[in-house]
Amino acid sequence: MSRPWCMVVLAVLIVMLVVALTPYLWLIMTSLKSRLDALADHPVWLFTPTFEHYPKIFIDKGYLPLLMNSAVVATGSTLISLVVGVPAAYVFARHDFPGKEDLFFFFLTTRMAPPISVVVPMFLMFTAVGLIDTRLSVILAHSTFNLSLVVWMMRGFFADIPREIDEAAQMDGHTRAGMFLHVLMPLAAPGMAATAVLCFILSWNEFLYAFILVAFEGWTLTVGIPGLVTPHGTLWGQVAAVAVVATIPIVVFTFLVQRHLVRGLTFGAVKG
Amino acid sequence: MSRSKAGGGILDRGVGVLFLTPSVGLLVVLLLGPFVYMVAVSFTDLNFALPGHDGSFVGFDNYRHLMQDDPVFWSSFRTTMVFVFGVVSVEFVLGFTLALLLFHYIQRRRVVLTLLLIPMMLAPVAVGLMWKLMLQDEFGVLAYYLRAIGLLGPQTSLLGDYHLVLPTVMAIDVWEWTPFVTLVVLAGLLALPREPFEAAIMDGAGPWRVFRDITVPLLRPIIALVLLLRGIDAFKEFDKVFILTGGGPGTATELLSIYTWRVNFRQWDLGYGAVCAFMVYLVVLILCAVFYKAVYWTEESQKS
Repeated sequence: MSRPWCMVVLAVLIVMLVVALTPYLWLIMTSLKSRLDALADHPVWLFTPTFEHYPKIFIDKGYLPLLMNSAVVATGSTLISLVVGVPAAYVFARHDFPGKEDLFFFFLTTRMAPPISVVVPMFLMFTAVGLIDTRLSVILAHSTFNLSLVVWMMRGFFADIPREIDEAAQMDGHTRAGMFLHVLMPLAAPGMAATAVLCFILSWNEFLYAFILVAFEGWTLTVGIPGLVTPHGTLWGQVAAVAVVATIPIVVFTFLVQRHLVRGLTFGAVKG
Repeated sequence: MSRSKAGGGILDRGVGVLFLTPSVGLLVVLLLGPFVYMVAVSFTDLNFALPGHDGSFVGFDNYRHLMQDDPVFWSSFRTTMVFVFGVVSVEFVLGFTLALLLFHYIQRRRVVLTLLLIPMMLAPVAVGLMWKLMLQDEFGVLAYYLRAIGLLGPQTSLLGDYHLVLPTVMAIDVWEWTPFVTLVVLAGLLALPREPFEAAIMDGAGPWRVFRDITVPLLRPIIALVLLLRGIDAFKEFDKVFILTGGGPGTATELLSIYTWRVNFRQWDLGYGAVCAFMVYLVVLILCAVFYKAVYWTEESQKS
């Protein structure tokens, strides 16, 4: 490879990285700028950071519960999806029964279901049973897509465990259920951790279900963002602060599960 | 494939049913239930905004309305198609190129890749917000620089101009999702066998021949997968466009999902809204069936 060509490739990559990251950096900077710097008639890149927006929006304006709601909803839907989905994934990986692949396809379509189509009747149904305006309604709604993610990913992780381990465990006198709990689950634990983090991310980032199903008390951070953007007089420092708090955990998690992202985002179709 | 005999058939089946029932049950209640309900409501005149429209049966009236006198739906359908085909093709070309660059020229690509992935991992609402911030007329940083180099007139606004707004929103989607194509294509490239490439190079094939005759055919399942997944997701797009433009100005960026939202939750016309929701569902289900075939295709080709 000739040297100038390498420099060109390197330059292209650097430009790509700058383009990919600058908007996010600008958001973080905006959350740390005084109103004067944020609204200056030319872009301000160097400034004295201020942390005033964070307490103002989270304490004075009462947005702290939104952070709590996001955490409760994401944790809740992750837990439900794991508890319900991991055993199902095990069955898909180890048992054969007629119609198995068709049932698996059903799980896939649930992940693909367009939220806007699901949320309309769900809104009416939750209203009918009195679940509307509760965090539980959002947890259940998020479980629809997270459950299929768990089944898809964990099927692959269970399939990666050699079948000889099953046979050895049965020799040791484990029952099917006992083997699943005491032998296979621990072996699949790293995959399960990655799956859990992905579920958490999807639920934490979700907007439409939470937006439709709950009023202010149940708002998650993502729902809190659009309401703060008004045609005139938006307090950009404060919205940016909410958006930063809503995104920082995700950036950290992305680094944690990077190795498993491909599998998670392609429904196990690509191993990565 | 060897099946272990120990454990007993009946007990086996018992565990299988016990393990599967909760997940199937949850999905039936939370997805099939609303689906059936949606189809049922689509045959009624349920409307929360008009008195007396409390859900009496109206037959196919709503469907007739959709086919015959709702030009807004169909213009929204066109907008969605432009959006989907536009963003998916650009993301594919850019993402594929980037994956090839990373594959061939970068050894320690893990950190670079993770940094590149950040746009698609952030909440779409936050993505919409940060671009809205940068495109603000009075003080937006991007608007400022575009004006400074003369690409944007002093009075034009990228999110306010009827003709510029859709390309702008599409460009933001490209920014957000190109890394996805890169991630998956790169994983596909790394999983390819080396032998065909070595053989081709031995035979004296140039890089372009190798790419066209070996890389692309071998990657075809991955390519199909990426295009379909992106297509389905782009078709469902809501969050980002909702915060960026709310579907406006006028209906310039009113995607089907946003139109469906407006009919249901602004006009409160739930009967007709159910028909719109059903249409969105239908398109996604068709794409899903194609996806399913493509995934099988992937598995078959990996076996051979």
